[in-house]
Amino acid sequence: MQKPYSLRTSYLESNEVFRRPYQKVLLALLLGFALLLPALASTYFVHLLDLCLLSSIGALGLMLLTGYCGQISLGHAAFLAVGAYSTVILNAHLGAAFVIVLPAAAVFGGLLGLIVGLPSLRFRGVYLAISTLAMHYAIIFLATKYQAEFGASATAGMTIPDPSFGLFVLSGDRPWYYFLLAVVSLTTIGCINLVRTRPGRAWMAIRDRDIAAQALGVNLARYKLLAFVTSSMLTSVSGSLLAYFTNVVTVEKYTLDLAIVYLAMIIVGGMGSILGALLGAFFITLLPFAIDALFGYLPRTWRFGSTLFGVQAGAVGICIIVFLLFEPKGLAEIWNRLQTYFERWPFRYRPLDTVRR
Amino acid sequence: MPELLLEVRQLEVVYHRVATAIQGVSLDVQSRSIVALVGTNGAGKTTTLRAISGFLPSENAEITDGKISFAGSRIDGRRPHELARVGVILVPEREKVFTTLTVKENLQFASRQHSGVTVEGVLSYFPTLAVRRGQLAGYLSGGEKQMLAICMALLCRPTLLLIDELSLGLAPMMTKQLMDQLQQVTRELGLTVLLVEQNANAALAISDFGYVMEGGRVVFSGKASDLMRHPDVQEFYLGGVRETETKSYREIKQYRRKRRWWG
Amino acid sequence: MEVAATVVILTCTYALLAAGVVILYKAARVVNFAHGELAIVGGYVFYSASLGGESLWLAVVGAICFSVIMGVMIYMSMLRRLLGEPLHVAILVTIGIGIVLKSAILVIWRAERLTIDIGVAPAIRFAGGASLSYMDVASIAVTVLFFVALYFFLTFTRIGVQFRGTAENALLASQRGVNVNFVLSLAWVMAVFAASLSGTFFGSRAFLSTESVTIGLAGLVAALVGGLDSLRGAIMGALIVAGAQYLTVRLVDPVLSETVPFLLLLVVMSVRPWGLFGTLEELDRV
Repeated sequence: MQKPYSLRTSYLESNEVFRRPYQKVLLALLLGFALLLPALASTYFVHLLDLCLLSSIGALGLMLLTGYCGQISLGHAAFLAVGAYSTVILNAHLGAAFVIVLPAAAVFGGLLGLIVGLPSLRFRGVYLAISTLAMHYAIIFLATKYQAEFGASATAGMTIPDPSFGLFVLSGDRPWYYFLLAVVSLTTIGCINLVRTRPGRAWMAIRDRDIAAQALGVNLARYKLLAFVTSSMLTSVSGSLLAYFTNVVTVEKYTLDLAIVYLAMIIVGGMGSILGALLGAFFITLLPFAIDALFGYLPRTWRFGSTLFGVQAGAVGICIIVFLLFEPKGLAEIWNRLQTYFERWPFRYRPLDTVRR
Repeated sequence: MPELLLEVRQLEVVYHRVATAIQGVSLDVQSRSIVALVGTNGAGKTTTLRAISGFLPSENAEITDGKISFAGSRIDGRRPHELARVGVILVPEREKVFTTLTVKENLQFASRQHSGVTVEGVLSYFPTLAVRRGQLAGYLSGGEKQMLAICMALLCRPTLLLIDELSLGLAPMMTKQLMDQLQQVTRELGLTVLLVEQNANAALAISDFGYVMEGGRVVFSGKASDLMRHPDVQEFYLGGVRETETKSYREIKQYRRKRRWWG
Repeated sequence: MEVAATVVILTCTYALLAAGVVILYKAARVVNFAHGELAIVGGYVFYSASLGGESLWLAVVGAICFSVIMGVMIYMSMLRRLLGEPLHVAILVTIGIGIVLKSAILVIWRAERLTIDIGVAPAIRFAGGASLSYMDVASIAVTVLFFVALYFFLTFTRIGVQFRGTAENALLASQRGVNVNFVLSLAWVMAVFAASLSGTFFGSRAFLSTESVTIGLAGLVAALVGGLDSLRGAIMGALIVAGAQYLTVRLVDPVLSETVPFLLLLVVMSVRPWGLFGTLEELDRV
């Protein structure tokens, strides 16, 4: 009798990282493929993957905060900006090296996360989202002021040199790819372990029923703030890496729309799943490029320019709506059901908590 | 000439597609009578009421067998507001009034024009509620909320009134008062009532007919007066004590009694 | 006088937006983050329906049709499925709707900056140098009318009571004979209509473009400051936000104008989270 992998029957089982034996093999294959990829693919494709990996880190940060701890935050773009601007400031005024800037960005992000997280001790839901939005605008205002003061011009932004480790300079899509692959892997392992242990369980308890969580002894303040700080640290690092990758920092990039794009990543990927953060990040980052490619097949008579941009923007919104209505657990759940389908074939299996219409 | 107003035949309800809550449940409710449905927790009484009043889909449950007929026509599967329009009104167990509206607004909510039943009319049955008409319903006491719930139900011109746990959370005196008021209202307005209750004493006292449910099945039925005299019903639901010479633990244990239900 | 006129008209714009937010909250417990986008798209529809400034009546009809179609569509296809789900799901869906609407502006109207020209010529002059156009007068009049009508509707009519009951417990409302789908669709239609009016007035005083959608957030803040379930609060909140924005733009820094409503909100929320006129009991439901 085959063990029902999709149903977990013991506490140890529910804490396992690999639920099914073949998953380890799949992961090994995937990693092997990933390592070989730059040799096989074009530079353009590797560049795309770099973008995906960069947004993965930010997506993981948001997933911990919103997907696991249930605190809705619209201030994600602001944290990316914090990471980017700490990079700029440290570089421009102190000439600091990469190995110092990155941890410093994490620290600044963490401190700010602490401040942004304070309203969460008092509010939930909409009010919390609005207060994070307020923080977003406050931070962006400060960044705009900085750019006006020190930028090449009011709108041009600032440049940053490529990061260097002693003699080795990190530049070019392929070197960045390997670097990011390592960073994302380490971050993912860290996040997986975080959610499997006490913090993760506390966050999920807070997400589902914070009053009951409190009654069971979960220190709400401590864990909510921990979620905000961890998330903002990760996001700040992501923003810093993004700044190094593109070598330019302008404040116009950090809009509310960017925060919503990251929200879309965790919604599409599946809230409450580390795999979901990665899947969602890849999906949403690649989506505009896919639409761009699709547009290439359309007859020339269709208008380009703002139509393309409009459709790309609209596609993100449509993804949010469609996934929330029909597949709230996102791509991660689709992957799960796919595995279950093949596991149980030819028996059918329908999950218990699908919503009946 | 009592006619059959509600007819439930071999009803089966399944939750989440895997858990059978009730099975083979059959009930008859004669017009202008009060029928009590008693049983312990988890017997399936509330599920039965929900099935009749159309509330199952919101609980992720469905009727998988059997049929329900109201005044001759099938009603299983119809939506709650359609059933409300034909006169099947449910007073639910929890969340039975709008706590953010005043008493008057709650009643306004349910009343229909030209319905023959007015707000003042129903309030006349419950004088303690009438003095509080400007108060927010959320601030009423348990008993008053229950009265308000019944008034709202009455204003919908019910033909069949389904009441779930009328006595829940109420002091015994309040329960008795409410039951008496319910009986009075029913007689005067010519209603039919299906009353689900854990307080079997109070329920059977005002009912004409009764059903006993256990483990998702109807295990006993009969006239209310007969039920109240039945020794097993007395022992399990009415708190009566069996007069026997020797009391061994084995005899008291319920499972021995259970075999008699189905034997 | 000029100052007062500007602030009053801006208040009207925000007040209509806030009214829409309050309607949706009072009827459906939904906080709509797409309100700004609905307003601006409504303004664009008004412009297009007026056939370039020719026909006012056609424009009004167009705006009404848009409200009905959009409101019903949003509710029946999307929000209806979320009845009973936790609130933050509905909010995220409205955020998604907002993005789709914004991209519709890009695709349909190519994000042209438009100004609505009907009746904007300065017509009435007041003492102190202020002059109002017909559109300005209309915006004030319509706002007042809308609020009065809404107040009577919600407080005294039966449907108004049904609105509020449905918001608290849609299941119970359904069992007491209320067609919940109708009530909620109506709420959405009313909210979209209010937003369209607001967008039209904004489009005549300022301009319509993809950047203008931020007025929605200001309207949301106005509603929150005043209290999400209070119409009086919507007006007061709108006045405060409009006043604060105007002062900031004039005296401090124009760039800050987007931020000021939120800073205001932070202040209000730290001392009185349920808003100036909101009811305390409502807070926990959010």
